[in-house]
Amino acid sequence: MDLIIGGAFQGKLEYAKEHFGIAESGVFRCERTAVIDPEARCIYGLEDYVYGCIKEGVEPSLDFAPDAVLVGREVFSGVVPMDAEVRRFREEYGRYLQKLASRCTTVTRMFCGLPQRIK
Amino acid sequence: MIVFISGGCKNGKSTLAEDLAVKLAGDGPRYYVATMVPHDEEDRARIEKHRSSRRGKGFETLECAEDVSACAKGRSGGTFLLDSVTALVSNMMFKEDGTVDEKCSVKASSELLGLARGSANSVFVSDFIYADAEGYGDLTESYRRQLALTDRALAGAADLVIEVCCGMNIIHKGGMPL
Repeated sequence: MDLIIGGAFQGKLEYAKEHFGIAESGVFRCERTAVIDPEARCIYGLEDYVYGCIKEGVEPSLDFAPDAVLVGREVFSGVVPMDAEVRRFREEYGRYLQKLASRCTTVTRMFCGLPQRIK
Repeated sequence: MIVFISGGCKNGKSTLAEDLAVKLAGDGPRYYVATMVPHDEEDRARIEKHRSSRRGKGFETLECAEDVSACAKGRSGGTFLLDSVTALVSNMMFKEDGTVDEKCSVKASSELLGLARGSANSVFVSDFIYADAEGYGDLTESYRRQLALTDRALAGAADLVIEVCCGMNIIHKGGMPL
């Protein structure tokens, strides 16, 4: 499994597709529900998936296809959110990404369209 | 050489940009492209801070709220420091007449790259505003997207890309000039 993270609009999905040769049809786009396709080649929007899991009271999965490319937005550099639900999301999603990153072969962080391998 | 600098606010981006521009310019002319249109006392105080930090570094200041190509005209051999892409994109998107251009990154990127390619050196400063958990309204999200697309065009064309974090430099592309 490979993880790609970065802020909003930094080119995460473009890089995932280009670097790993993934077509749009191979991308599962998460919505704010606990629904996910564990077999998908690329899972985009982990932040929405985890938010959905919290709302539905489900533990988010850490098991994906061995060649899965997982894409999540970094949401950790702002002021502590006023909204309690968003605060909880930020915390749980942060811990989730740490666990996920430890299971991934590579972790790449996108900065203004440029990839930086951090694992 | 094209340099692109971004990072959080108050981390030392402008100081680094000034020092790099001075170094790259050598004996050549150096221009500071000022993009901020002051709206209140706070803005004027910020501008004064930046001005005094630049004093003695030999920059000629060019006021440029929007029209980048006009300020590049006739100064092709120079070194340009543009601070900031953030303010420029904001000026280009939110017009004086109240209209909003939600595709302004196309024009912003092409004019900024035009400035970069037509000059000896250029240094661009932007702000990294993309990593918080709270959602914004549609217009702010649209602005963040336009700024990010402009940033990415500049970072893609740049020889040197630096993220500044508490005065430290994280180099994403290229190497520091000697």
